Order: sequence, then C-alpha cells, then structure tokens
Amino acid sequence: MHRYGATVALRDLSLTVQEGEVFSLLGHNGAGKTTTVRIVNGLLAPASGSVHVFGQSPLTDGASVRRRTAVLTESPTLDERLTARETLAAFAEMYDVPRAEARPRIDALLEEFGIADRARDRVGGFSRGMKQRLSLARALVHDPDLLFLDEPTAGLDPVATHQLHDTVREMARTRGRTVVLCTHNLVEAQALSDRVAVLGGGALLALGTPAELARRITPRLEVTIEIDPARHGDAVALIAGLDGLTVATDRTGVLRVGSIPRERVPDIAARLVAGGIPLYRLEPHEPSLTDAYFALQPRGNGSA
Amino acid sequence: MNKRIIAAIVRKDLRVVRRSRALMTPLIVLPVLLMIVFPTVFTFLPRFVGGASTAFSQMFRNLPDPVKQQFGEFTEATWIRVVHTQMLAPLMLLVPFMVANVIAADGFAGERERKTLEPLLYTPATDAELFFAKLLAAWIPAVMIAFGGAFIYAVIVNVTAWPVMHRVFFPDLTWTVMVLWMAPAFAALGLAGMLLVSLRVRGMQEATQLGGLFVLPVIALVVGEVRGAILLGPVMAVAIGLLVWAIAAALLLFGVKRFKRTSLVSKL
Repeated sequence: MHRYGATVALRDLSLTVQEGEVFSLLGHNGAGKTTTVRIVNGLLAPASGSVHVFGQSPLTDGASVRRRTAVLTESPTLDERLTARETLAAFAEMYDVPRAEARPRIDALLEEFGIADRARDRVGGFSRGMKQRLSLARALVHDPDLLFLDEPTAGLDPVATHQLHDTVREMARTRGRTVVLCTHNLVEAQALSDRVAVLGGGALLALGTPAELARRITPRLEVTIEIDPARHGDAVALIAGLDGLTVATDRTGVLRVGSIPRERVPDIAARLVAGGIPLYRLEPHEPSLTDAYFALQPRGNGSA
Repeated sequence: MNKRIIAAIVRKDLRVVRRSRALMTPLIVLPVLLMIVFPTVFTFLPRFVGGASTAFSQMFRNLPDPVKQQFGEFTEATWIRVVHTQMLAPLMLLVPFMVANVIAADGFAGERERKTLEPLLYTPATDAELFFAKLLAAWIPAVMIAFGGAFIYAVIVNVTAWPVMHRVFFPDLTWTVMVLWMAPAFAALGLAGMLLVSLRVRGMQEATQLGGLFVLPVIALVVGEVRGAILLGPVMAVAIGLLVWAIAAALLLFGVKRFKRTSLVSKL
C-alpha cells in the first residue's frame, strides 16, 4: 500500500513479473502506475507490504537494483543544455558503464535511434520525437535487465513508434530482458504484452494475458463471413436456423454474425458447407484488450 | 561512495551551468566587479577624484583608535592599506558565497524545475552520492573562482599601488587567512543555505530569493568593518571562519538527513 497524504495511491497490489516478459500496467491517470514504478525503483517507500526486484529490496539495496533497471519517464526529462552525446555519456558514467564499452555503445544507440547526425547538437533544439528517442537511448545506455517504459510512444511518429515496438520485442524475445510498459495505449499493450495488469484507483482490477483478459471480460465474439454475394440469402437462412444467432449484411458486403459464444463458430462453418455454399472467408473477431479494459473500469473513472 | 558517479554528476552540473547565460552573467559580473573593478577604482580614487582624499581622511579619523593605531598617520599609502586589507576585504567573501549559492540553486531547485531531477533519482547513485555530488558541483567552482579572483585582486592592487607603495605589500596575513580559510567556509554557507531552501521550495526563483537571505552574515561583516566595529586581524579571521564553517556544517548535516529520494520525489 502507498498513500500520498490522505489519498491511497496503491492498495492490495500483488504482482510478480517474470524475467524476459513484456508486462503492461494499464490504468487511467492516477491509477497508480507511476507510483508502482517509483516503489519498485526505491524512490518511494510503500506504507505497508514489500517489494523485491532481482531478489533485493529497492529500499535497502536501491543502488544495486537501479543499476539493473532503467526508467523512461512519461515526458522527456532531458537537460536541454547538454548535447545528445553528452547526455548519453553522462548517464553511462552514472550507471558505471566501463569506459571501453561506453563509447561504442553510445555510438550504436545514437545510430539505432536516428540521432547520430545530431549527436553534437544541444537537446533544446530537438523535436519532441527526437527527445523521446534520446530518452529511450539514455534508458538503454547501461543495457538494463529491467526496463520501465512510461508512455513510450507519446509524441513519436509512426516510424519511430514501430521502431520502438521492435526494440521492445527484441529486448524481451532475443535478449531475455524484462520490459514493464505503463501505457494508455491499449492497442500497443495488446500488441506487445505477454501479460497485462489493469489498475484502477490504486488496486489491481485484472491480471492475465491480453487474450485471457479479453475473453474473461467479454467471452462472446463476432464472426465475419465472406461468400458469393448472390448466395447471401441462402446463407442468412441457413445461419438463422441455428438457435439464437442473428446475421446481417454489413456495408462492405460481407455477412456479420452478432455476439455469439466461441463454441458456436464451428456450427456456422459446418452449416454453410453442408448447405453447399462456397466459403471464401470465415473470421471470428476476438474481443480486444480495449473492450476488456473499458468493461473493467468503474464508470466515471477518468479517461484512458 | 562511488567516485565515478559523483564525478559524472559534478561534470554534468557544471556543464549545464556553463551553458546558461542567466547563470553565467552573475557568476562573471560579481567577481569582475569585486576582484578587478573595485581594487582598481579604490586605489586610484584619492589621486584622481577631487575631494575624495579629504572625505577618506575624514572617514579614517572616524575609525576606532585600535584601527588608526594599526595603520598610523593618514597618507595615500595608509588609505591604500586600509581600503584593501580592511574595508574591501570582506566583500571578497561575497564571491564564493554567491557563486555557490547560484550554482546550488540551479543544481537543486533548477534541476527540479526543469524536470531533470527524476532521471537522476533513477540512477544507481545513492542519496549520499547524489548529495555529495551536488555539494561539490557548487563548492568547487565557488572556491576556485574565489582563489583565482583573489590572485588577480592581489596582482591588481600591487600593480596599481606600486607608484605609492614601491613594494609588494599585498596580501597580508589577514587577507591570506580570509582567502584560504574564510572563502571556502562562506562558499559552504552559501550552498548549505540554498540546499535547505531548495528542499522546501519547487522553483528556482523562489529558491534564489530565499537562499539570498543567507548573505546577511557577509553584509554584517562588511558593515562592521567599514564602521570599525570589527577589526579583522588574522585571529579574528580564523575565529569567524571557524564559526561560519560550524554553521555551514550544521546546516549541511541538517540537510543531508532530509536529502532523501523518498522526500525529493514527492516534490517532482
């Protein structure tokens, strides 16, 4: 538990993040995401309960924990009077990166994040996207085992966003690093995360893989069916013969079967095939993390 | 303590200060004024400004007897010695104080205002390393500028007063004690005061306004000297320096106990 004065920022939060996974903390503003990151890094002390990172307590072994973690804060917190290279060099030293390793690593990061040609320019002249990329490079300068990304794609253009997603995947899948993503971007969380935790009012509302959560919260799905338009009438009649199913032609000219339990999907396919209707496409639409997220949040609890 | 981490923070802070025109202006103007302009002007004043000599002679006569006895009869040479070893001497202490004060304000409150403190808190630097680095980043340049300025001051005084004194008469023992002992103490006082203020306020402007109040002991010393209430000799300089060191140490000790990540992060 953690309090800011009389306000409870976190309560009854119990989580374990596995090594090498991409884990997302989702929640509205004030849900407790940043507080969690600060507690895990020893910047805040929980009022009660305990935290362990790599088997150590961030409160008593903070320096040791932080040596293996990195945090990309929500807004680029860069010193605008330093150049890009100076920024990375300063933080490489602060993280005690051996001198022989620092220089090539900085060069590689500047190159990777497309800042190499501006390496000697002061950060004050950078665009928001460049600052965000430099912030990410700064977070990676000591090759952390555990990386916290707070709204990492805010202000990034689509190319840079795609690049960041690749970086996250590469860190976790190829290099076995752990990434904790704090985001409002539910599509991003669904695309990147192995598991997500949904926070609300400082409490854990749900925990699981994006698919598990989506299914748990919204177990029904929609099915899109593409057939010869001339056979739509036959298909509608066949499907309507199945108990409780409703079907309609949407504006793109495909058939859409409304919210159905997933175990009914094979019945539809079997009925159409048995009716001699050539099936071009039958696509069940999984409920999204976004659907699950909004279903979990109490009404009137801010906005994502 | 990890010296490399401390050195990295000190270097970063100094680089940031060096590139700020708003910070560098007072850091250049004040030492130039006190260490170059003042000694030059006050050495030549009686010679080139009509009536100045009479006014200074009157001022000298108003000084307490012990001071007058120390310097003998009023002559141009006496004036030069009184001005540089007594009246202007405490002003020199403003330089380390102000330099430390301004840099510390930028390092603590300024860093918070620019939102660059948070990434520092996420580094492996311990609270003590962070605190020590911030202190050094303010104290080292303050003392270096004081020492460098004092050297330039001494050269200027001896050169400009040569036609009157015909010898290297400056610095005397008191002034040497002031530079080597009191100036570092006043630098420590300047940054300790700013540290305490910065722990409580959020913005740089608020910090500089409140932190500047700690300059009052220096002003008191200057006024005391000019009015003859304080006769600054080597023993007195050592004693005052000791007192300032003690106050600065007490304030820093008080500050270090409150300089905790867990407190700092609540003001981000």
